Amino acid sequence: MNLRRRQFLELSAATAAMSMLGPALARAASDPDTIRIGIAANGPRTSDPNYTTQGGDNWATEQMYEQLVRPDDGTFATTPDQYRPTLATEWSASSDAKTWTFKLRQGVQFHKGFGEMTSEDVVFSFKRAMADGTNKPILSNIADVVATGPYEVVITLKNSDVNLLGTSIFLNNTAVVSKKAVDQMGAEKFKTDAVGTGPYELTRFDSKWGTALKRHEGYWGEKAKVAKVESVYIADTTARTLALLAGDVDMIEAVRAPGWVDSMLQRDSTLQFDMTSPGSFNTLHINLKRKPFDNIKVRQAIMYAVDRHAVAEAMKPMGGFTADLQPESFPGGFKTEDLPPDLQYNYDPEKAKALLAEAGFPDGFDFDSNVSQREDYASIMLIVQEQLRAVGMRMNLHIGDHTAYHADNQHDKNTLALHSSSYPPIPTQLYVQQLSTKAEVKPDGTGGINYSHYGVAMPGIDDLLAKALQATDYKAYVDYCRQIELQVLRDLPLIGMSTLSFTVARNARLDLGYKVQSGYARWRFHHATKKA
Amino acid sequence: MARYFLLRLADAIPTIWLVLTLVFIAMRILPGDPAIAALGDMALPEQLAAFRHKMGLDVPLWQQYINFLIGVLSLDFGQSYMNDEPVLNLIAANLPYTIELTVAAMIIGVGAGVPFGVLAATHRDRLPDSGMRVFSLLGYAIPDFYLGALLLIGFALNLGWFPINGGGDGFMDRMYHIVLPALTLALVKAAFIGRLTRTALLETLGKDYVRTARAKGAREPRVIYRHGLRNALLPLSTGMGLSLLATLSGSVAVELVFNRPGLGRLLIQAINERDYGIIQGGVVVFALLVLLINLVMDLLYIVIDPRIRVKS
Repeated sequence: MNLRRRQFLELSAATAAMSMLGPALARAASDPDTIRIGIAANGPRTSDPNYTTQGGDNWATEQMYEQLVRPDDGTFATTPDQYRPTLATEWSASSDAKTWTFKLRQGVQFHKGFGEMTSEDVVFSFKRAMADGTNKPILSNIADVVATGPYEVVITLKNSDVNLLGTSIFLNNTAVVSKKAVDQMGAEKFKTDAVGTGPYELTRFDSKWGTALKRHEGYWGEKAKVAKVESVYIADTTARTLALLAGDVDMIEAVRAPGWVDSMLQRDSTLQFDMTSPGSFNTLHINLKRKPFDNIKVRQAIMYAVDRHAVAEAMKPMGGFTADLQPESFPGGFKTEDLPPDLQYNYDPEKAKALLAEAGFPDGFDFDSNVSQREDYASIMLIVQEQLRAVGMRMNLHIGDHTAYHADNQHDKNTLALHSSSYPPIPTQLYVQQLSTKAEVKPDGTGGINYSHYGVAMPGIDDLLAKALQATDYKAYVDYCRQIELQVLRDLPLIGMSTLSFTVARNARLDLGYKVQSGYARWRFHHATKKA
Repeated sequence: MARYFLLRLADAIPTIWLVLTLVFIAMRILPGDPAIAALGDMALPEQLAAFRHKMGLDVPLWQQYINFLIGVLSLDFGQSYMNDEPVLNLIAANLPYTIELTVAAMIIGVGAGVPFGVLAATHRDRLPDSGMRVFSLLGYAIPDFYLGALLLIGFALNLGWFPINGGGDGFMDRMYHIVLPALTLALVKAAFIGRLTRTALLETLGKDYVRTARAKGAREPRVIYRHGLRNALLPLSTGMGLSLLATLSGSVAVELVFNRPGLGRLLIQAINERDYGIIQGGVVVFALLVLLINLVMDLLYIVIDPRIRVKS
C-alpha cells in the first residue's frame, strides 16, 4: 500500500484526536463480578495466614480466613467489648483473666469440601501458630489450648491478659485453618493452597502474578456479593497507578508520600481513598548512648524544635498528629490539652535554643544520622532536619537503602532512628518492642528494636510495663499505659513523630459496603458491590 | 568447527567462575541483612538466628563460598529467602518471559532498523537520511523506562489498545502482552541497527566490486542487496550481537514499568530484599546468556565470512 502524504496526515490526526479522548475510551470497565486489587509488591509469598510476612499477602488471607472473634468491618476494636462473634459465638474469661472459654459456632464449613469446623481445628490452628508462626513471641503467653467438647475450646494463659482478644485471638496467625487439609496436603503445599472458612476460597496462587479467589458458596454467614477477588502484584508505582486509571484494577495500595493523593485526584477526580487511622506509628528513637543526646535538655530541645503538627500536615491527608506515643483514639493516648503543661511540648524554637544554651551548646552542634530512602521515612526526616537546623542542631543525614538502613539500626549504628510500624490498639505491644530493657538494641545485631537503650542507659518503664501486663482489670491496664506515656514524655527516649494512614485508592464503581476508619492494612470484600 | 566450539566453551569456565565469585563477594559487602529483609525489622533475635541457620548464613564466609560453588556445579542455587522456593524454579518460571521479550524486541528492531538503514544509505543526504538521523537521536536519547511509560499512557491507558500490565496466559495472550514492552526496547535497537546498516552499506557501496556490478548492468536492488548488504553483514552482525546484549539488560527496566514477569524484575526484587540465592542464580544465568550470545555470534562470523574459518 502506498501511503500518500495526505493519507498519512489524516491518519496521524485521527490517532492524535483519539488519544485526546483520554481514559473515557479506555478498555471496557472491568468485570463487575471481580474485585481486583493492585498490591505494592512483586509477587505473593504465601497464602497460609500463619506465615505471612509481606503485608500485601494479607489482602487474600483476610478474605479466606476467620478468627474466633473480629471487630466490626473498617474499625479496630479499641476495647474488648467491641469484638463481635465470628467463629466463636460466645466467650468468657476467669476473674484473673488467665482462663478463657470459647463456644464455637456450629455448622461452619471449610472451603473445598473439607467439612465442618470443630474444636479440633481450632486447637490445631492455635498450637501450630504457637509452635511455628510469624507471631510466635506474642503467643508465648498461652500455656495451653484444649478442646472441652466438639464446639468448645479453653485457652489457659501463663500471665493474665485482659486484652487477649486483641493480642492473640484476632491475629492472622490464629485464623482457623482446616486440620484435615493440612494433614492431607502437607505443610509445604498448604502454603499455596490453603483452606479456611472465610467468605472467599483460593483458586489460583501464581508467584509471578498474584492470587485469585472465588466466593465460598458454603459460607456460614451472608455470602459475598461479588463472585471473585484477584490480588494482582504490581510493585512499580507508575505501573500500579496506570493500572488503576485504566480500569485494569479496582483499587491499589497507595504510595505514602507527600502530595500523592492530590496528584491522583488531579488525574481522576472520581477516585475514592480509604484510609486507616492511625495506620503506622512513626517513632523517633534518640540514642541515649550518643553524646550530647544523653542530656535531657538536648532531648527537650528536639521536642520544642520539631513542629510535629507540621510533620503530620506535610503527609496530609494520610498524616496524623500524636501528642504522645499512642494516638488519642487508642487506649493510653492523650490529647495535647489533657497533658500536664510541661509535657505538651508545643512548637517553640526559641525555647529549644535556650535549652541548648543551658545544655552548653549556645552555637548548636553537628551530628550524623541515617535514614531510609523510602518515601515516608525520607520525607519525615528531611523535615526534621530542617527544623533542627533552625535551632542549631545540624544533622548530617545519610539517606540509604531501606534494607541496609534497618540492618544498621539493628546494629546500633544510628543516632536518631526513625521507625515505622503498625500496631493494634494494644499499647503494651509498642512498649514491649520499642521501650523495654529486654528489647535493647545490641551492636552485634542480636538485640531488639529499643534503639534508644531506654531502661539501660537510664531507668525505663519496665516496672510499669510489668504491672500493665499483669493487670486483671482493663481500666487498671489502661491506667498503667497512661503512666508509661507520661514517663516517656518526661524522659524522651522516644518521640511519637506522626502517624501515617495505610491508604488505598479505589475507583468509584466499587463500593465496600462500609466505611474504612481504622484497622489493619487490609479490608474485607464480603459486603462489597460493584457497578459495571 | 566442533573443536572450536568446545574450546570456546572451555574458555568460558574461568569467566563464569569470576562472575560467581564477584557476585558472592558483592552480596556480602553490600550493607543489609537478608534475615531482617525476609522476616521484617520486628523479628526477634531467635527468629533471625533460626532463619540464618536454615539458610546456611551462620557458617564462616569461606564455607558459604564453598557451599555456593558446590551448589552451582549441581545447578542448585538454594532456596529463595522470600518465597521459600528453590531458586532454580523461580528462575525457570521467569526466564522464558525475558527471552521472549528479548527475541520479540530484536525481531522488531532488526526488522525496522535494516530497511531504515538501507533507505538512509540509498538516499544519502536527502529526506530519508535526515529522518533516520533524527530517529536515531531520539532512540539513543529516550531512556527505556521513560519511553515505556509514554507508550503505556498513549496506547494502553488512553487508547486502551493494549494491556496495562502482566505477561499474559497462553500463546496469543502472551503475544498481545508483549507488543508494547517489545516496541519500547525495539526503538533503541532500530535506531542503532539503522545507523549501523547505513554506515556499513555506504562503505560497501563505495567498493570497486559494486562499481563493477553496476558497470555490468546489474539492476539497483540487486546491487544493493546482493553486493552491498550481503558484504555489510559482518559489521552488522557484530552490532546485532551487541544490541542483543543491550536488549537483555534493558529488559530489567521494561519488566518493571510494564509489570511483566521476568528475570530482570525477579533480580531487582531480590536485590531489594537481599535474597542472595536469586541474585547469585540470576546473575549466573544472565552471564551464561551473554557468553552464549557471544559464542553464537563468533560462530555466525564463520558462516558469514569463510575467510575467518581459514584463519581459525
